[in-house]
Amino acid sequence: VSRRRPFWLVAAAAATVLALLGTDVARALDTGVADAGLAFFAPSACIGVAAALAVGRWPERRRMALLILLWLLVGVLDDLDWDWQASRTAATVSMLAFGLQAPVYAQMVLAYPAGIVRDRLERGFLAVAYPLSVAWVGFPLLFGDPRTCTGNCLPRVPSLVFTGHTLDLRTVGRVFDALFILLGAAVVGLVVRRLRRDPHGARRTRLPLMVAGVYAAAEFVAARVAELAGWSQAAAPLGWIERANTLLIPAAIFAGVATIRRQRGPVGDLVVELGAARPGEVRAALARTLGDPTLELGLWLPERHAFVDESGAALDAPAASPGRAATLIGPEREPLAVLVHAETLLGQRPLLEAAGSAGRLALENTRLQAQLRAQLAELRASRLRIVAAADSERRRLERDLHDGAQQRLLALGLALQLLRDNQGDPRLLEQAEAELQEALRELRDLARGIHPAILTERGLAAAVRSLVDRVSVAVEADLPEERYAQPVETAAFFVVSEALANVGKHATATSARISVGRLNGRLVVEVRDDGGGGAAATPGGGLQGLADRVGALEGRLTIDSPPGAGTTVRAEIPCASS
Amino acid sequence: MRVLIVDDHASFRSLAARMLREAGFAVVGEAGDAATALDEATRLRPDVVLLDIVLPDRSGLAVALELAGRPSPPRVVLTSSRSRSDFGSSFDWPRGCAFVPKHELSGAGLNALLSVA
Repeated sequence: VSRRRPFWLVAAAAATVLALLGTDVARALDTGVADAGLAFFAPSACIGVAAALAVGRWPERRRMALLILLWLLVGVLDDLDWDWQASRTAATVSMLAFGLQAPVYAQMVLAYPAGIVRDRLERGFLAVAYPLSVAWVGFPLLFGDPRTCTGNCLPRVPSLVFTGHTLDLRTVGRVFDALFILLGAAVVGLVVRRLRRDPHGARRTRLPLMVAGVYAAAEFVAARVAELAGWSQAAAPLGWIERANTLLIPAAIFAGVATIRRQRGPVGDLVVELGAARPGEVRAALARTLGDPTLELGLWLPERHAFVDESGAALDAPAASPGRAATLIGPEREPLAVLVHAETLLGQRPLLEAAGSAGRLALENTRLQAQLRAQLAELRASRLRIVAAADSERRRLERDLHDGAQQRLLALGLALQLLRDNQGDPRLLEQAEAELQEALRELRDLARGIHPAILTERGLAAAVRSLVDRVSVAVEADLPEERYAQPVETAAFFVVSEALANVGKHATATSARISVGRLNGRLVVEVRDDGGGGAAATPGGGLQGLADRVGALEGRLTIDSPPGAGTTVRAEIPCASS
Repeated sequence: MRVLIVDDHASFRSLAARMLREAGFAVVGEAGDAATALDEATRLRPDVVLLDIVLPDRSGLAVALELAGRPSPPRVVLTSSRSRSDFGSSFDWPRGCAFVPKHELSGAGLNALLSVA
């Protein structure tokens, strides 16, 4: 974009100089063409065309330029003011051009900067304005009585088909004047409506030309009112207003261009900046170019179904907080990213969108990096959790040994000591034996908790059945006798063990269902109970430990536990038979 | 010498009580937790409290400190299934308390400990 700028500025300057020179030459030749109005008009239009070409995209630029050229054409044709005596056709054309000037102007104002009027109401307005304007000048051309006609029917043009009937053209002229006052007011109304509807950014681009348009419409209405009221001398100051307005148009278009440039400029810079941005700097680059230091960048992670920031940390739902707004980049269902920014930026949606598409590649890269970081962070966190879980497991073992078997053995030691002095005391012997039995039982339980021998020796189904035998609720189990890799069986066993322990502890369940099976190369283990629900993996909790254990095998643990509707713990672990 | 035994394992309490009685101590009471221990110490006014360091409600060390703060406090002998070295050299033992690991507990040992301190 920026490389084209000098070209169009040079073109505009050249056109201006040429037009000024041309009018001066014409005046010098004294052909009658060099009207003072033209001297203002032609260069203005040239500047306008150049400016229109300098902004926007094809074909919008071309459409806008053509519209300005059309305005230049009717303006020039009108300004030529050909005399009836010189050429009938030329005078008629000049006359029609005079009539068309107002609607062409209105179209230009409404179409800027896209070069096309899309709004239905505005189109309707133009559909009325054009024929009415043609009729306005055409009517006296056709039916005017050159002998009586004054004012609006422009006596410089004799009637083409004057029939000799006495037609009161003044009355017709008044009707037209009244209609044009309405149309002029309609232009003002349309402009105000447009300004109210435009988002902030578009408004800034369009405002100068809109002001010029309102100004011209007001001037037009004033002229018609003067006509109606019969103030013929009002034309003199209006002539100057017209000149001033002519100058306003290129000024307005330039102002619009400048606004667009100001808005697009940063995007151009952004493209350059994002190209050079190192990972982690994309948010900063976007914040700088969009002028919103509080801007947050959320990158979409499809597999997580969530937004993360550049470092891969989860971003809170970009919900609308007061004064903040979110703009999605990319398709709504599968967005690339989201910008959470100050609400005022919404007015510059084109800029936001441009920034979004300019940054697409950088964003895509950043997203991949964020994805990687998020995975890495998750991996680190789960590794830490696994270590922590192992530590707490050892602490639990120490405590169990200390509180269980060791206490029994200490008591046994005391009993033996006493037996030394009280040989054959049957109560002491009994107590000693009981302590020994308890110590053995507790050691057995402990060993089974560490790793059940039955799992190694006879497989998952047998181990799960032995778990089922020890729970108090009714359990239905669907257990194929297949063997799986040791880590897979162990993980699956602990999923069932933990889930059943929870059933016993919290779930207020009366029954549970266990199903184990192979699905698409995965071992799927599911434990469903009919308890109170509300279970969740909490940090340091048994379910989190399970999730990490399953995750370490590239598997997935899901806990579905809506309050009041039971709990389903489901693990899917990639597996191969062994 | 009147002894109060504080330990959360009933079998240890009963066996220790029998052992101390046979060694000539008067075991006046037993307590399974810190709260009961403090109440019984107030009620029975024992000369010696054999106090397990790990109790279900509070630490035995806290109980020892509280007892030490009372007027004419009982002698406190801390005990544990761990040995002294398990607590480390920087362990902050309450002042005036003796320590005997449970596996070394004997009437004679306790007597020796009390006569030294």
